Amino acid sequence: MSLAENFKKTFKIKNQINYIVIAVFLVVMAILSNGNMINRSTAGLLVRISYSIILAVSLNLVVGFLGELSLGHAGFMCVGAYIGCFCAEELNGIIDNRVLVLIIAMIIGGLSASVFGFIIGLPALRLKGDYLAIVTLAFGEIVRNVLKNLPMFGGAKGLATTHIQIPSKTLFIIGFITVLAVLFFIQNLIRSKHGRAITAIRDNEIAARAMGINVTFYKLFVFTVSAFFAGMAGVIYGHFTNPVMYSTFSYNYSIEILVMVVLGGMGSINGSIIAAALITYINFKLQSQLTGDLAALKLLIYAIILIVVVVFNNAPSLKPLKEKLSVKSLRKAILRRTKTDAIYDDDAAWNRIDTKIDMDEVVSTDIKPNDFSSPVEPEKGGKK
Amino acid sequence: MKKFSKVASLILAAALIVSCFAGCGKDTSNKTYIIGGTGPLTGDFMSYGVSVKNGASLAVKEINENGGLNGVKFSLEMLDDKGAPAEASTAYDQLFDKGMQISIGSVTSGACQAFAAKAAEDGLFFITPSASTATIIENRETAFRVCFGDPDQGILSARELAGKYENIGVIYNSSDPYSTGVFDAFKAEMKTLNASFKDQSFDDENDKDFSAQIEALKDCDVIFLPIYYDVAGLIAKTCVSKGCDADLFGCDGLDGVADQIDDTVTNNISYITPFDVNSTNATTAKFVAAYKAEYGESPDQFAADGYDAVYAIYEAMKAAGVNDVNISYDELAKKVVEAITADGFVLKGATGDMTWDASGACTKAPQIVKLGK
Amino acid sequence: MITLLDGLSLGAVYALIALGYTMVYGIAKMLNFAHGDIIMVGAYAILTTINACGNVWVGFAISVVVCTVMGVLIERLAYRPLRGASPLAVLITAIGVSYLLQGIAQLVFGARPHPISMPNLGMINIGSTRISVSTVVTLIVGAIIMAALTVFVKKTRTGRAMVAVSEDSGAAKLMGVSVNTIIMITFAIGSALAAFASLFYLMQIPTVEPTLGSMPGIKAFTAAVIGGIGSIPGAMIGGVLLGIIEKICQSIPAISPYTTAIEFSLLILILLVRPIGILGKKRREKV
Repeated sequence: MSLAENFKKTFKIKNQINYIVIAVFLVVMAILSNGNMINRSTAGLLVRISYSIILAVSLNLVVGFLGELSLGHAGFMCVGAYIGCFCAEELNGIIDNRVLVLIIAMIIGGLSASVFGFIIGLPALRLKGDYLAIVTLAFGEIVRNVLKNLPMFGGAKGLATTHIQIPSKTLFIIGFITVLAVLFFIQNLIRSKHGRAITAIRDNEIAARAMGINVTFYKLFVFTVSAFFAGMAGVIYGHFTNPVMYSTFSYNYSIEILVMVVLGGMGSINGSIIAAALITYINFKLQSQLTGDLAALKLLIYAIILIVVVVFNNAPSLKPLKEKLSVKSLRKAILRRTKTDAIYDDDAAWNRIDTKIDMDEVVSTDIKPNDFSSPVEPEKGGKK
Repeated sequence: MKKFSKVASLILAAALIVSCFAGCGKDTSNKTYIIGGTGPLTGDFMSYGVSVKNGASLAVKEINENGGLNGVKFSLEMLDDKGAPAEASTAYDQLFDKGMQISIGSVTSGACQAFAAKAAEDGLFFITPSASTATIIENRETAFRVCFGDPDQGILSARELAGKYENIGVIYNSSDPYSTGVFDAFKAEMKTLNASFKDQSFDDENDKDFSAQIEALKDCDVIFLPIYYDVAGLIAKTCVSKGCDADLFGCDGLDGVADQIDDTVTNNISYITPFDVNSTNATTAKFVAAYKAEYGESPDQFAADGYDAVYAIYEAMKAAGVNDVNISYDELAKKVVEAITADGFVLKGATGDMTWDASGACTKAPQIVKLGK
Repeated sequence: MITLLDGLSLGAVYALIALGYTMVYGIAKMLNFAHGDIIMVGAYAILTTINACGNVWVGFAISVVVCTVMGVLIERLAYRPLRGASPLAVLITAIGVSYLLQGIAQLVFGARPHPISMPNLGMINIGSTRISVSTVVTLIVGAIIMAALTVFVKKTRTGRAMVAVSEDSGAAKLMGVSVNTIIMITFAIGSALAAFASLFYLMQIPTVEPTLGSMPGIKAFTAAVIGGIGSIPGAMIGGVLLGIIEKICQSIPAISPYTTAIEFSLLILILLVRPIGILGKKRREKV
């Protein structure tokens, strides 16, 4: 197989529609901004949308595909923003081109965040669900607490990023190009065999392990990758805002990203993109509309999104109602009217098989469950 | 579901593009001078932002009732920044698009850093009512402030305390720029004065129990509190339960502490402030009366600062002889800077008589307000 | 020594909150993220009654009722529909409930912190050290509650049903235990404990704001994990331990700014090294 073919096969641009939408959007906006047709606040909004999309999509990788709840995503962003921008400020005198500095800073910020992602991935090997959520939350607080007390990063005054500011009109173009790159990576990842392995771990970790999937590797991998992108988003943020303040990256911000993921649908990349854009836009609009204690309405909206979406999607008792209302069943109902033959629906067939097989009934005790009290030996690679 | 999301994303992208167009093509000529400003109108620091907004609105109203500047009125656009830098940047852009010509900056230090960076790049004049961090006006020609700077307060406090007391303790908030700014200057000044003190810090994001800090400073004669009033109220109560009878001394952040404590607190509390509600100064008394009539409550220092910031802009514009309502922001900035730093420019404001030099810092006389029995 | 006492009094508050966490986690197998916010609701209930009639104890009684009703309502409306759903879904809903309570509180009472006048119970001398009465009371009440809960779970019919539900809710159902009722009772007890926690929290820190519960909530969860989640005495030990660690860290100026980081690192360490905590029970994961 030639290299070109191989490349085509591995990096096929799948699910083109969202690339096209974003690319067209970007081109239109870039032309508009060149012609001074968009004003500053819109350009600023676009920057915020771009980094929010990166955050939401990367968190979706952990929550939607790996099935672990991370409440420390803002913490990774914080690491990226602080370390990336710190390096950018240092590089500023050496390299003249601010865009080049930004790109280098994004890589540095991403890498440093991914180191932390790897470290957080380690407890993820042994902990699940609630415990892991708390660990990620704790991690986010630790990062903030340490960074704000280091005099190197400006202490309580925040890290000044005066010399590396990039005008929003340029920054949003870079931001959206980064979004495209992130999408390209993540969409190819989840459609590869690695992506299927990751979703298999989400659906049933023990079964996945029994199938020979290297759970250790994939968990660490997902946390590392997701942190990398969050770190990149942090660097974009730092080039947009001066100074970088630890208080931005609080637990509340992590929840805001989670709301985007939940609203967009866990495991849906397109959903995350739309929800991230929508929520950022709403926030932007509310900034000048809601004042005083009415701002609590935003909290209420978040809360209601979280509760309603999750309860509706997950409540066993609401399942019939949900199926009745779903797009798929509506489509099926329409199809049924036009065609009398039953259509073989691959998705439906798959849905009928309950993925959570009760293993106790199938096998006796051959498979040792993952015991909390003794560490699981990693196969290869993985934990050090 | 996929179809739906495709359609939705197309619609959303289209809507965004359209909404950008919607911003264009508006009439750009003004009928008033537009003063912009941001402050925390929501969130944890809300009370400061609302006070400044009230004070500034009152000043604008008074100016307009007296005929404005050569018949041209002023309008105030105050946006919410939640006290966060990112929000302040966005708010700045929005104000800029709305045609802001001159500004009262941001209320809190962190947000004002972001605001000042953007304003300096554009060369827009701003005079912040209350953002006291030193770096905000440093090396920025068009940046001014009404309040004392953090270092000034630290130095003043050090001089005030070092002579009077033997055992001095300090509790500061390590996560707050204001608090650390005052403390650093205090520390340096104490060193030059050859006085010693004990310090304790806390982090008010996740720490509201002060027993350890008070315990360590129990035997001090005075505890210096370069912090805000709500936490100071808690510290005063902790002093009571710990049986610590040291005097409490603070900076302008302590303004408002009287409402936070009850009569169980017996410690003497005093603080440096340029503004005293009960002052007999004519301008101050007039402001307090007008504020009470307008909002039904006593103004705090932030309200007075906001009031003075607007008057500083007004007086400077008057002195500079600004006469064109459509004057561009950079041209206006040049004129105003020249007028405000000129010899003989004195603003008789609610927080005292003020003069400015080219650094942007304000010179005015501090007062020490005493609470307690 | 004084630092230890300070830690003890803060730890006693953490312990009370942790007891509520551990009750709910131990039996319903879910992390009730909103527990801290129920404490906040209780604190506002106390604040409102004090402003209305001036009596703390009436306020406390009302806050017990309010918290209990609130806990049961939350369980019924938000958590019960999700019984049997994935833990992730339940956890996200719990976060949603926490936000909801904070949002409502801010709408009703405003974001501004309200100072509250709690009765000063004074100080007593034990040997050469002075200790505030509220600390002693907090500790004693904590110990009584802990003992009462232990007896309740071990000796009463409802308590044993709780243990059964905790061990295997499917089997408990087959044995005739009404799982829904038992979990509802658990929430009622957990939330009533939150009212106790809010009273003692206010004695320590007399100010009320909408985000009052979130940080103590997370710290108390840390305490519950340190002590071994699901274990009633463990919560008590964990809480006191955490309080003491916090105060010791604060009393050393060099590491005082990093107190939060140290506490949370401790949590991560314990989860890595001994996930079951000090007194926790091992539990095997079933497919």
